[in-house]
Amino acid sequence: MKIRGVHIEDTFAEAFTMRAARLVITARSDRWVREAALKLTGFATSVIGCKCEAGIERAMTEAETPDGRPGVSVLLMVMAKDELSKRLVERVGQTILTCPTTACYDGLPDAPDRVKVGSSLRYFGDGYQSSKVIGGQRFWRIPVMEGEFLVAETFGMVKCIGGGNFLILAEDADRALAAAEAAVDAMHGMPGIILPFPGGVVRSGSKVGSKRSKTMIASTNDAYCPTLRAVTTTALPDTVNSVLEIVVNGLDAAAVSDSMRAGIDAACIPGVVSITAGNYGGKLGPHHFKLRDIMGGKGA
Amino acid sequence: MSGIRLTLRSPLAGRVDLRAAFAASWTAATPAELARREVWSARSGTVPLGELFAIDGTPDGSATLAGDLTLAERVGAGLAEGFVRVDGNVGDRAGADLSGGRLEIGGNAGDSTAEGMAGGLVVVRGNTGDRAGAAAPGRKRGMTGGELVILGNAGDETGALMRRGLVAVGGTTGCCTLLSTIAGTVVACGAVGAEAALWNKRGSLICLGSVDPSATYRYACVIQPVYLRLLFRRLRDVHGLPVTAAHIDGRYRRYSGDFSETGKGEILAWSPA
Repeated sequence: MKIRGVHIEDTFAEAFTMRAARLVITARSDRWVREAALKLTGFATSVIGCKCEAGIERAMTEAETPDGRPGVSVLLMVMAKDELSKRLVERVGQTILTCPTTACYDGLPDAPDRVKVGSSLRYFGDGYQSSKVIGGQRFWRIPVMEGEFLVAETFGMVKCIGGGNFLILAEDADRALAAAEAAVDAMHGMPGIILPFPGGVVRSGSKVGSKRSKTMIASTNDAYCPTLRAVTTTALPDTVNSVLEIVVNGLDAAAVSDSMRAGIDAACIPGVVSITAGNYGGKLGPHHFKLRDIMGGKGA
Repeated sequence: MSGIRLTLRSPLAGRVDLRAAFAASWTAATPAELARREVWSARSGTVPLGELFAIDGTPDGSATLAGDLTLAERVGAGLAEGFVRVDGNVGDRAGADLSGGRLEIGGNAGDSTAEGMAGGLVVVRGNTGDRAGAAAPGRKRGMTGGELVILGNAGDETGALMRRGLVAVGGTTGCCTLLSTIAGTVVACGAVGAEAALWNKRGSLICLGSVDPSATYRYACVIQPVYLRLLFRRLRDVHGLPVTAAHIDGRYRRYSGDFSETGKGEILAWSPA
C-alpha cells in the first residue's frame, strides 16, 4: 500500500487499556488557562517515568465551559484504576490550585466510575472550605490568598487506550521532522485524543527491557536507530536516515483510529520512505491498530 | 396532550389535602387507579380523588391539575417521581417532603411550600407565602436537598432551618430569610427583608437586591466567587430567573456570620459597578 509514494507497512500499532479522566480548566483569561494546562500536563509523557500520561485535548470557548470563561479540556491517563485519584490530586493540587483565577471541572460527568479529587484537596482549606451542590454536582470552595478555588468533588473515570502509534521513516532528519509536524498539526484538536509527548512527537522510541541491564524496563529501540544500522539487526530500509514516532492516546478505538488516519495521511510527504508502527507481536496490548485497515478507512 | 389530566369537577368549597394523590408511585397509574386514591376533605372526610377531579389521559409520567386549587393543601407533597404541573394557584405545603421528580405551579403557592423537601425540583411561577423550603412544625430540618425555584416573591422565613439544597427567588424575600439555617443556599434576585440569615451556621445567602446584614455578621472582602458563575448561569438558562451578565461577572461583598453561631455562613451582596 502506498500513499503519495510513501509505503505503508503491513503491520499494526499495539496499544494498551488505560484509565482516563477529563479535566476542564477555566480561568479569567486565555493566558492563565494556558499556564495552568501546561503545568498540569508537564512531565506526563509516559507512565514509564511519569506515572501518568496527559495532554491538552482542545481549547474550549467561553460558551462551552461551565462558568462561561475561557478553558481547555485535558485528558490524564494512568495504567491502574487506583492510580488516577492519586495523580489527579497531586497535579491539580500543585498546578491548578496554585494558578491564579483557575477553576477545575469534571469533563466526564456521566461516567459512573468516580474518583475523588476535590474531596481530597478540600483539606487544604484547613476547615474553612465549604461545598456547594449545583445542578446535582458537588463542588468544593477552597479559600486561597487570591480568593477562592473551585474544584469538582469527583471526576469521572473511563477506560481508554494508550500507546497508539506510528513511525515515520524518512530520508533525513529534516524531512522526518517536517512530516511529524504535519501529522501533529492534522491530529491536533481531534476529539478524544491527546499526544502526550513533546509537541506530539517522540524521537526516542523504546523496546521492552534491555539487553544490558535487568533493571531497565525500556531501552532504545535499536532496530530503528540509524546510527546502529551496522551493529544491530536493523529494521530500516537503506534510504532511511531518521525516524520519528507519533504516540496517540484516546478515549476509544475510533478516536485513536481517526487521529492515526489523519496523522499518517498528513505525514506522507516527499522524503518520507515509509510509515510503520510499534508492536510487541500482539502479545502485550489488546488493541491492535492495523495501518492498512486504518488507511483503507476500516479503522481498528 | 399526553399524560394524565385532572380537572376540578366543581370549585372547592373547603380545604382538601391532596398529599395522597401523588405520594405513592403514580407514574404508571391509569386514570381509574388514580381516581380511587383517597384524599382528605375538610367537609367530607376521606374521599376518592375521582370525586374531586375528572381524570383522563394516558400515563406517561406527567400529570396536569386544572382548576382553582387555592384551597388545596399539600399538592404534590411526597412526590418522588414524574412531573406534576398545576395550571393555577395552590394552597399551603405544596411539594412538602418532595424527594424526587418535578412539581411546577403556574400561579401562586401558599405557606410552607416545599417544606422538608429532600430532592427533585419545585418551580413556582408566582409568589409563595411564608416559610418556603423551611422545616415543618416540630421538625429540626427544613430542606435537605433539591431545588425550589420561585419566580415571584417569597414570604418570611424562606429557607428557615435548611440543611442542604437551593432556594432561588426571582423577586424579594421577607424577614428572617435563611433563619437558623444549618447549610444550603438561598438566592434572592430582589431585596431581602430584615434579620437576614439570622443564626445561620454554614448557609449562603446571595442577594442581588438590597440586604442589611445584622450586627452578628462581619464584613470580609469584595470577591468574585466562581461558583456563583455556575449557579447563576444555571438559574438563568434552566429556570429563567432574572440574572444578568452584570450579576454573573459581578463583584460581591462578603459578610461572614452568623457569629452568634459558628460564623461559617456567608452573605454575598452584589455590588453594582
